[in-house]
Amino acid sequence: MQEVVVLGVGMHRFGKTGDAIVGNKSVTELCRAAVDMALKDAGVSWRQIEAVSAASSRFSGGKGWGLNGNDIVEDMGSTGIPVYNLSAGCAAGGNAFNVGYSLVAGGIHDMVLVVGGEVMPKGMIQTSGLDDVNDPEFLRQACVGMPGPTFWSTLARRRMYDYGTTEEQMAKVTVKARQCAVGNPYARFQKAVTVEEVLASPYVSDPLRLFEICPVSNGAAAAIICSAAMARRFTRKPITVATSTVATISFDDALPRSLAGPVPAGSSFHTEAKSAVMRAFERSGIGPREISFTELQDNTCYYELAFPEEWGLCDEGEAERLVEAGDTAPTGRMPINPSGGFVSFGEATTAMGVFQIAELTWQLRGEAGARQVPNARVGLAQTNGLGGNATAAILKR
Amino acid sequence: MSELREPCVPGLFSEENGPSLLGARCRCCGTPYFPAPAHCRSPDCAGSDLEPHAFSGGGVLWSYSVANFAPPPPHKFDAPFKPYVIGVVDLDQGLRVVGQMIGTADDMRVGARVDLVIDPIYHRDGKAFTSWKFRLA
Repeated sequence: MQEVVVLGVGMHRFGKTGDAIVGNKSVTELCRAAVDMALKDAGVSWRQIEAVSAASSRFSGGKGWGLNGNDIVEDMGSTGIPVYNLSAGCAAGGNAFNVGYSLVAGGIHDMVLVVGGEVMPKGMIQTSGLDDVNDPEFLRQACVGMPGPTFWSTLARRRMYDYGTTEEQMAKVTVKARQCAVGNPYARFQKAVTVEEVLASPYVSDPLRLFEICPVSNGAAAAIICSAAMARRFTRKPITVATSTVATISFDDALPRSLAGPVPAGSSFHTEAKSAVMRAFERSGIGPREISFTELQDNTCYYELAFPEEWGLCDEGEAERLVEAGDTAPTGRMPINPSGGFVSFGEATTAMGVFQIAELTWQLRGEAGARQVPNARVGLAQTNGLGGNATAAILKR
Repeated sequence: MSELREPCVPGLFSEENGPSLLGARCRCCGTPYFPAPAHCRSPDCAGSDLEPHAFSGGGVLWSYSVANFAPPPPHKFDAPFKPYVIGVVDLDQGLRVVGQMIGTADDMRVGARVDLVIDPIYHRDGKAFTSWKFRLA
């Protein structure tokens, strides 16, 4: 195995179709901006890229086949390099990073571009793309009608029952997230909000409110990764990829992803995310308490409470207290989503795994400005996607 | 009750002999399924011997949520949209199943006893299209 490093990262600020940030830019234009920035950051020319590992989008570009990496290569100039298009729902960016990492670690390529971008349709994501009674997601929507946020609010409601979590405590997670995004030039929302404002926003899915759920966004992110040996030609301070992992859901997961499952023996939620993160700890030899900060998939504030406990970053039932004590802020003892997270960026679905790599890199370089985690040494990233997909990565300086 | 009723998706549930969900159970490992798959999907089950099983009766509300806004297609509903509650229910017969709840969020509490019912979820062309739901017992 070769050691893999992140040489450069880039991002197009997230926004909403028609706004002043992204206007009517195509996904290719958004990706182009992120890729150009990453190449410049790395000091690498397009000709030096040996392969592309791209997230496949269901919503934009890719010729309708998820060939988003091919769009980028055509736009940058066709050099004949191999292109890998990875599909894993909202975890696709994480998968693309994992495949890029594996190609470099395995010595197949020395310099790889990882990229993800989206132009999202308005409103709630249509989770099932099929009109087919053999598709479990179709059945779930046709027979019940469970838009994405209801999955999260079901979990949030149960947490309120199990731990006495209040709506005010959940609102405080959003307040922290939006405070982080103040001054983050890439965040869609850069204005702080108060607990009162969060609690005054309407329910999208009771008990979760508009300000507590990430909207969909347009945006793109890119990373140039290479072998540590090659990196020496470009930089004195590369960021090391300690590991990158992928996992899928376990049969004993406690929350049905289609219509039904066996009543579980225990409360093993998000088994895909937990497996990916536990594998990352195992492979890197870095434990949960050695993590300086985490970028996790906060589709809603609930995940900032549940995930740190499930992964051993803190004790069970402790998360609300940590939020209230300011310990999940960048200057706290367990910083979560110093970028501002999905709640502040909105979700450009397949870009998010790469977006996290960019934020981890900026944090570990000490380039994160007002949201900088002091003395950030090790960062953890995690994504989740439809189909029971998840990814994790640990980066260190 | 004179309106014509039709399942929103055929073959998944029945109203004869009381409401039931048409699933399966593996004779080898006991795993319950709804809907019925072709094979047992448990990675720990060496055999696969599925028999049809109709899940019925009561259960306990494990958690619930509310669709405060209309879901995108393929969900269908009667206009104007009215928010509805979605329950995750642990049936006494060993199945954890999702379904719409009859009643509002204010009526719900985690741990409540519920019963399986078949009820319209939308109307089209003079017909009521039904699905399974749960009602507080």
